[in-house]
Amino acid sequence: MTITVAIHSSKGGTGKTSIAVNLAVAFASEGLDTCLIDMDLRGPSLCTIFKQTPRFWINDFLSGKCTINDTLNDMKKKVKSSGHLYLSYSNPDITQIRELVGKDRAWQASALKALMNVKKDLAQKDIDIIMIDTSPGMEYESINAVAASDIVLVVQNDTDACNYCTEQLINGVYSLLDKKYAIIDNMCHFNCLENIENSRYGAAIIASIPCMCDVPMRSKKEILVLTDPEHQFSKSILRIKHWIEKMQ
Amino acid sequence: MLESQMIYQIVDSLEEMNSKLNRVIELLECNGSHSVEDKAFFSETETLDVIKLLSLPDHLRRTATTLFEIGPATADEIARKTSKERAVESNYLNQLVRMKHVKKYREGRKVYFCTNESIKSSNSNCNIAFK
Repeated sequence: MTITVAIHSSKGGTGKTSIAVNLAVAFASEGLDTCLIDMDLRGPSLCTIFKQTPRFWINDFLSGKCTINDTLNDMKKKVKSSGHLYLSYSNPDITQIRELVGKDRAWQASALKALMNVKKDLAQKDIDIIMIDTSPGMEYESINAVAASDIVLVVQNDTDACNYCTEQLINGVYSLLDKKYAIIDNMCHFNCLENIENSRYGAAIIASIPCMCDVPMRSKKEILVLTDPEHQFSKSILRIKHWIEKMQ
Repeated sequence: MLESQMIYQIVDSLEEMNSKLNRVIELLECNGSHSVEDKAFFSETETLDVIKLLSLPDHLRRTATTLFEIGPATADEIARKTSKERAVESNYLNQLVRMKHVKKYREGRKVYFCTNESIKSSNSNCNIAFK
């Protein structure tokens, strides 16, 4: 059964993409056919991380110019995973981002329908896990991604603004759309080992990842879950992965 | 490569080409070749997007979301997905029709419901019903 997981946050810069990339690689390394879609259409980063220029972008699919299969780039050989790792990139070109900002509600409704169909299309391709990296907050694209997902992982930093907005998203979006959801505390500054909470705003906290300067530095060149599985960040990723597997 | 394998590959490629051509035709149809009735429907139906879904009352949201996911669909098909009674779903769908978020049409003996997105995206049945 194909499962769709959206990685979302109330604010930017919480580490969504790092978590999404490492999670996708962890699933693929274990032999699961995985697809990671960059739906952060206003701030794309996946193509920069993997240094690829695809023939078709996810933007093309959402505009009805190609199929979802046309946008997929298999990275199985590059990451040496036993399962397929398909990446669907968002176009970082500023003209594309400008065009997106001008899209009307009818286009967004059509994009939601297209995203909902992605699951059916990828299930036919025997994909086990679809991960969607979203833009932060209440952007249309991110709420579309949430609506098209089975599970939402909300990544948050320990700031009052982030806490308040996360609570708003849980009560005003995830619950209303009947989603399963959980919180990932990232870049925590308290001593995680002594202050672990089990839940917040009715959502399970499935990982509390401490703030470690080497994570953003090393993530520029490597995927930690592959190169350093004993790293605390990698271990947290595996904990999140196990939680998703249990939800299946 | 075996001859049978080559034939399978050719059939796969032809099917992919066919699906892409269908998409192009649908896109062309969406870009201005709708019938007068279709245009009237688009203008009198409110776009049902994710923000509108969130603002719907709880009892209608699940029905509308399911219709978005599988539509066009009958009340019976929606009821099977939501595990509610067919009559209940029929009532909710008709409320959505009155709110102009959903359109209903008849095909033979069955009554179908659809959002305007279902018409614009990929389903030809809904188009046929309006022409």
